[in-house]
Formats: sequence, structure tokens, C-alpha cells
Amino acid sequence: MQRRTALLALLLILAMVLAACPAPAQPAPAPAAQPAVQAPSKEGVEAPSKEGAESEGLKKELGEMTGKVVIAPGQTIRIGGSFALTGPIPDPGKDIRQAAEIAIDDLNAAGGVEGFQFELVAEDGACAGDQGTVVGNKFAADPTIVAVTGGTCSGETIGLMPSLQKARIPFVSPSATNPAITSSDCDICNRVALSDALQGVVDADFVFNDLGKTKVAVMQDSEDYGKGLAQIFQDHFKELGGTVTNSEGIQVGDTDFRAALAKIGANAPELIYFGGFSTEAALIAQQMGETPGLDGSLFMSDDGAYTKQYLDAAGNAAEGTYMSFVAGATNDATLEEFNAKYMDKFGVNPKDLGPFHGQSYDSVMLIATAIKAVAVKNGDNLVIDREELIKAIRNVKGLQGLTGTLSCSEIGECGAGGVQIFTVKDGEFFQVAGFGMQ
Amino acid sequence: MEKQSLSKYLTWLLGAVVGVLVLWRIITVGVAEGYPTSFWISQGINGLVLGGVYALVALGYTLVYGILFMINFAHGEVMMLGGITGFFALQFATAQGWMDGSTTVVVAALLFILVTGMLGSVATGVALERLAYRPLRRAPRLVPLISAIGASLFLQYSVLLIFGVTPHSYRKPDLISGGIRAGNVFIPYTGLIIFLASVLMMLGLYLIIQRTKLGRAMRAVAEDKDTASLMGVNVDGVIVATFVLGSALAGAAGVMLGFHNTVVKFNSGFIPGLKAFTAAVLGGIGNIPGAMFGALILGMIEAMGPSALGIPTQYKDIIAFSVLVLILIFRPSGIFGEILSEKKA
Repeated sequence: MQRRTALLALLLILAMVLAACPAPAQPAPAPAAQPAVQAPSKEGVEAPSKEGAESEGLKKELGEMTGKVVIAPGQTIRIGGSFALTGPIPDPGKDIRQAAEIAIDDLNAAGGVEGFQFELVAEDGACAGDQGTVVGNKFAADPTIVAVTGGTCSGETIGLMPSLQKARIPFVSPSATNPAITSSDCDICNRVALSDALQGVVDADFVFNDLGKTKVAVMQDSEDYGKGLAQIFQDHFKELGGTVTNSEGIQVGDTDFRAALAKIGANAPELIYFGGFSTEAALIAQQMGETPGLDGSLFMSDDGAYTKQYLDAAGNAAEGTYMSFVAGATNDATLEEFNAKYMDKFGVNPKDLGPFHGQSYDSVMLIATAIKAVAVKNGDNLVIDREELIKAIRNVKGLQGLTGTLSCSEIGECGAGGVQIFTVKDGEFFQVAGFGMQ
Repeated sequence: MEKQSLSKYLTWLLGAVVGVLVLWRIITVGVAEGYPTSFWISQGINGLVLGGVYALVALGYTLVYGILFMINFAHGEVMMLGGITGFFALQFATAQGWMDGSTTVVVAALLFILVTGMLGSVATGVALERLAYRPLRRAPRLVPLISAIGASLFLQYSVLLIFGVTPHSYRKPDLISGGIRAGNVFIPYTGLIIFLASVLMMLGLYLIIQRTKLGRAMRAVAEDKDTASLMGVNVDGVIVATFVLGSALAGAAGVMLGFHNTVVKFNSGFIPGLKAFTAAVLGGIGNIPGAMFGALILGMIEAMGPSALGIPTQYKDIIAFSVLVLILIFRPSGIFGEILSEKKA
């Protein structure tokens, strides 16, 4: 009975809080800046156990060792990979992994570094922050991991950051676009993809100026990537003078968005902008057509939804919808050669799986270029200094990749190209606009 | 005794205050937002469709609970496997060109897909009973519950490994895409079919239980297994029949939900399963009309709740599960639940 009363008191407090909220109840928008950069969980946990276990002398020796990776003859240069093999976008994740394998093959065919071959250690980051943390801890605990390519999604990458930062393992993400991933606070964080700070602004400009729509609703999937992008879009759209009628969050994995759409439909926006991934984007595109007030509205989404899976899942509902993509300037000749190798090895056209294979290939190439710059032969061993490697990645300039000329900035933005906008016609993507392309 | 009644009085007083605050919130939000009636009708329709799906799944929970007094937590996965089997039946039907045929052919194909999906679920349900529950029938009641949770995870990840992680997309034939539009209200055909079919199936189930010999046997086993066995009822057979009935309904729900929401994957039975369980508890677990009404009420709460309370729709699950908590506090036997006898409690 006591417990029951306590529970009730708790519920009462909850109800009071609920009732005390201002009535129109525009859901309090998350702050524009992403505060959750340092996922705090593991930081404090690992250090003490490690230090407690080792004796003083051993610790000193280890300290010298951890600063460098020593690779004995016959061993490989191990590059970790965090790929979204499960979770909401398994096909693009697989595509990114396979492209990374092609890059490793190419590097090894070209002789590796001083006769040492590369090896990809692939893990499933599942496109989720918690799994990203798990993968990050695994790599951080493995002294043979030199650098990491990945993660695929923004939340996953943010999960990777703390433990890799602690272990001084640099990463290059091919596809994580949340602005918070690169900053002056993180010297190991790099990416080939372009920041959503660009994509969100370009998308808002496109909707407001090119499509001439001034009244939109914004939806997002409550993940770091979708939520961040939707917020940037929304802020910029308001700055341009547009109206945002609704800002609704949904959950990844949910399949029925009719209640949220009915709520949005009551305000009859001209367009719905969705920050999130292809499965949910396809469902929203379909269910919009069944919602009064939205049957004439346009739909636009982002690089997370720019996939063949979106086209397959949405079917007819995809026609006339818009997608933006943070694309590199494609180099046709080298891309064709890459596609041929990919088809040969995996028996599938990379375009059928996902859009980020070029970025993934370039991400591995970027890491390899930096490794080649700092690796030195010491006797028979190959020695890579971790701190030097971290600096070397930022020093890569003018690297010719599949997505254009890669040059890393001082905060780790290495991407080339700009934002492309596509529309769907007859079940295919057609580019309608490009911004900032080389 | 004195203390007991005081505390009970306090509980109800607090409950009344919670109720008044929630009501006040609904009224202030309603005044501030001023949604048109058509909006509430649309949300109500969404709620009825959701409720229809929950009802079909909730009946499986209730049937099994009524007979074995255990919660079959793998029942959501039984539904998911119906959806997956239905997806492959749809692939097959599409490959045969049935989905582009005349109306009769398409209707026949849809029935074929529905029945295949139901058979897929029935096979899963019967296998579950045989492998995961029957060996534990005499074990303490916590043991089959844990076995059920294990079976749920086993089924989810088996599907993940066998059929992959990519969601399977149902493609609706033209016959059932679109819907009826009346002013600002839209009723999708798939939603209409789900609601009507679930009502029909529930009626059928009710008749089976009340009017047939099998139904009488089921009620007898629910009352007292040992006595029923002495009276010549094949208890194992009745339990299998219960799983068959419950799984068939869940399979139908899985296939229809597949057509309605167009996507099925390894974990798409998990949350609907939990919701259906909530619905079964809401109506009074073990009680068949209770499961139906509980499901419809839960569906409506879920569809209308976020708008009525003026909170983001992504919190609809919180509302649904808060209802579960409230029911467990104020009326543990559910809306329609009888006072549980010594034996069942």
C-alpha cells in the first residue's frame, strides 16, 4: 500500500508538470547547437581499471608503447571500420563496407606501405549511438588498430568519439553529416562527407527560393543526424521569412505515422521536410497521400533517404518527392573503374545499395595516405606514431579521390563537392539542382 | 484494517486528482488548438484501425493466459512471422502475375496471401508451444515466462539472420490502395479492411468458444485442467488448438498490417506485441470481449492522446504504457476482468 501511494504521488507530480505547461504546447525545440558531443559514459570507467592493473614499470613501458603502433613482419596494418550493417539503413551500410574493402584491395595491390599490407577490421555500428560506443571501446582496447573509417551515421559516430579520442585513434567518417562531429575540440575527428550545416541551409534555400514554398512542416526521427539536420533546416527557413507550421518528432522503427501526419495536415503546409532515414521517409511519403490537408503537399528529405531502398519502398508515392545529397564532384573515369571492380567482387551495382561508396573509398584512401606519410621502418618492424598520424590526416591536401580533390581543414572537414538536389521521376532520381559543386 | 482502508481512500483521492488534472489539460489544449471535428474523426479512424490490429494480437495473449495462466511474450513475434510469410506469398503472387489480374483474381490472391501468413503464424505458434512451453508446464510460473522472452529474442534474431535486416516492403495492389474520401476525412481501404476483418474474426472466435465442442473443452480446461482431463478432455490437444487459434489471428493481423503500413522486418512485432499485451490487461486478461474493447480503447487513446494532451506524437507509446500502469494501480483485473479466483491469481 505504501508503495502504491508513493507511485501515485509520482504520477500526480507528473500530471501537474504536464498541466502546468503552456497550453499551445509547441514541443520545446532542442537547442540549436548540439550539446551532446561528448557522450560521457565510458570516459571514467576504463581508465582506473587499466591503471590499477599495471605495475609502475609496466605502465611506463606501456605509455611508450601506446604512443606508437609497432607492426612486426608478416602482420598487417589494421584499420577499424564502423559500419551500419544493421539498424535503419543496412543497405547503405553494406555499401560503405564493401567500398572500403575495395579500397583496401587497391592499396594492397599497389604494394601497401613498405611491403606491409592493409587489413580492414569491420564492426557493426548499427547506426546507433549505443552501438557506436561499444565499437569505439572495442577498437580503443585493441592496440593494433591504427585508424578507423566510419561511423556511418551521426549518432553512431558521436558514440565512437570519446573512447577513440582517449586511445588517440583518429577516424574519418565517410557519411556522418551532423555538424557537431568536427570541431576544434576534437583532433581525431575527421570526415569526407559534408556537414549538415551546409545541407540544411541549401535545402531551406531550395524550398524557399526555387520551389517558392513558404509554409512547411518539419519532421525528424529523434536521432542525432535527423534531428540536427531538421533543426538547421527549420532555423534557416525561418530566417528566410518562411513559416514552420509543425515540428514533429517520430521514432525510428515505427511504421504508422498517420497520427502525426493528421496533426500536421490540420495546418495544411505546402511541404514536409523530413530529417531521417529511408525506411521512415518512404512510409511518410506514402501515408501523406492518405492524410487530408497533405495530399497536395510536397515531400523532401535528405542524404539518409537518398537510396534505392526509398524508391522501392515508397513506390508511386516517391514520384515528385525531393531528396538532397551531400555529394562529391564525381570523377567519371575513375568512378567507372571503381564500379567495375565493385561489380566484379560483390556482384552488385554499388548504386543499388547506397550513395556513399565513393566517400567510403576516399575515406580509406585518406587514412592510407596519412599512414604512408608517417610510417617508418625500424629494423624489420613498421612503426606508426599515433600523434603524428593524427596530425598527418589534417595535413592531407589535394588528394585525388573518387569524390573530387580532398583537402582536410584544421577541424577535420575533408570533403569535396557540394549539395545536390534530386527529384524522383518514373522511379529514378534526377538531379534538379547542385550547390557548391566543383 | 483501519490503516488499509485509509490508504485505499488516499489512493482513490490521488487518482481523482490525477484524473481532474488530465481532464483540465485536455480542455485547455482543446481550447487553445481548436482542431476541427474532421481532425478528431480522422484520428478516431486511425485509432480504430490500430485497435483492430491490437485486438487480433491481444486475443492471442488472452486465450493463452486464460488456459495456461502464462503470458506468451513471443506472441508479437508470431504476428511478425505471419507478416514475413505473407510477404513471401505476396512475392510469389506477384511473380505469377496475380496482383495485376482482374478483381476476382486479385481478391483470391489476397486471400491466398492472408491464409499463407496465418499458416506461417500457426506453425510458429504450435512450435513454440511444443518446444518452449510444454516441457515447462509443471514448472513454477516464472519459468515459462522467461522461456517466452527467450523465444521472442530467438525468433527475432533468427529472422534477422535468415531474411536480413533490410525491411521487406509490401506492395499494395491497386485494388486496395487509396481509400474513401468524405470531406476532410480519409479512410484508407486497408484500414477499413483491417477493422471489418478484425471484427468478423473476433465474432467468429467468440462463436467458436461459446458454441462448439472445442470451445466447451477450452473453457473446461481453463476452469480446471486436471478435472477436465478426468472428464475425458484431451488437455494437450485443447492447448494446441488454443495456440492455433491465437496464432492464426495474429498471422492475419501481421499480413493486414503489412499491407496497411507496407513494411515488415525482424522486430516489427515487438512493439505491437507489447501494446496488444497492454490492451489485454486493460480489458482484463483472460477475458475475450475485454481484449477486444481494451484494444479498441488503447488504439483510440494512442491516436488521439498526443493531440488531446498537446504533446508531441512521438510520445504516444508513453501514453499507452502509462495507461497500463494506471490500470495496474487502480483496477488490476482490468475493465472487464472478473475478480480472479484463488487458483488463477
